[in-house]
Amino acid sequence: MNWTANDLDLYMQQQEYIDTAIIPLVHIGSGGAMKQSASSAEFLMNLAAFIERQFKGRVVLFPPFSYTDGNDKSRLASEWSASISDMPFKHVFHLTTDPSWSREGIIPDAIWIPSIPLESMDKKLKQSVLEDQVRQIIPVLTARWTSE
Amino acid sequence: MSNTRVSRRQFLNYTLMGVGGFMASGMLMPMIRFAVDPVLEAGAAGDYIPTSQKVSELTEEPVRVDFTYDQVDGWYESEVTGTAWVYKEGDKVVALSPVCKHLGCTVNWAGDSAHPNQFFCPCHAGRYEKNGQNVPGTPPTGPLDEFDVKIEDDLLYLGATKPNTLI
Ligand code: FES
Repeated sequence: MNWTANDLDLYMQQQEYIDTAIIPLVHIGSGGAMKQSASSAEFLMNLAAFIERQFKGRVVLFPPFSYTDGNDKSRLASEWSASISDMPFKHVFHLTTDPSWSREGIIPDAIWIPSIPLESMDKKLKQSVLEDQVRQIIPVLTARWTSE
Repeated sequence: MSNTRVSRRQFLNYTLMGVGGFMASGMLMPMIRFAVDPVLEAGAAGDYIPTSQKVSELTEEPVRVDFTYDQVDGWYESEVTGTAWVYKEGDKVVALSPVCKHLGCTVNWAGDSAHPNQFFCPCHAGRYEKNGQNVPGTPPTGPLDEFDVKIEDDLLYLGATKPNTLI
């Protein structure tokens, strides 16, 4: 499901089946890091949309949670998780291209995906690169679904 | 002679009317377009989308065929990728929609090793027979939709989806 009114209507009726929140964590860089962070965000959002399509009936794809260098990540994480834990999701998957979330143990189970610059690729290549990535992530998701 | 001369006031009037008319048409045209567009779109929906799948290479084993098309949603236009599961049934080409009839996940052929001759939905273990018939006792409540198909120069074209006609 996407974060739209219609999809959330369906979510309300089918909560027992749609039990997973997918939350993209997107870094907004400043100065010289702007373009790099945009490229990562583009990649991550494309990937998230792909995953949403594949697992539409099981996940809700949240709008990206964005942060800048000035944010205190640990504080953000605890504020987010306090709000999310009020929602009836059995699983919460954080997707990010920023390794610091899991490396520094802030969100230990954040799923880190190395960013690939899509902007210079043609449609075909982009599609197959994304498919490759999704194929690698699917086992991670299904492992968590079956283990928890 | 003085009758044919255009006074300063008349000249301004004409020019302003001209500009006003131009502006009005500028506003009206999009309005008319908005009113007419939905009608035009209905026609576009019946179009066939070309794929790169050669029909001569199809077998009785369902294969995944991807296609892309532009989708306009409000003012936002995006390129959408669609998928179909395609196989041959005798001489007939069958293209099934991969959208699970339970809650809309994407189903895979032989996605579950315990059921190699069925479509499998990874979300809640929904299953379908090869012809799209949902397996009773799994969550889906109906069969997979079917695409209209067209073949031109051995290439597969996919049209609109319709309720399954194979069952
Ligand atoms: S969405 Fe396919 S079984 Fe639930």
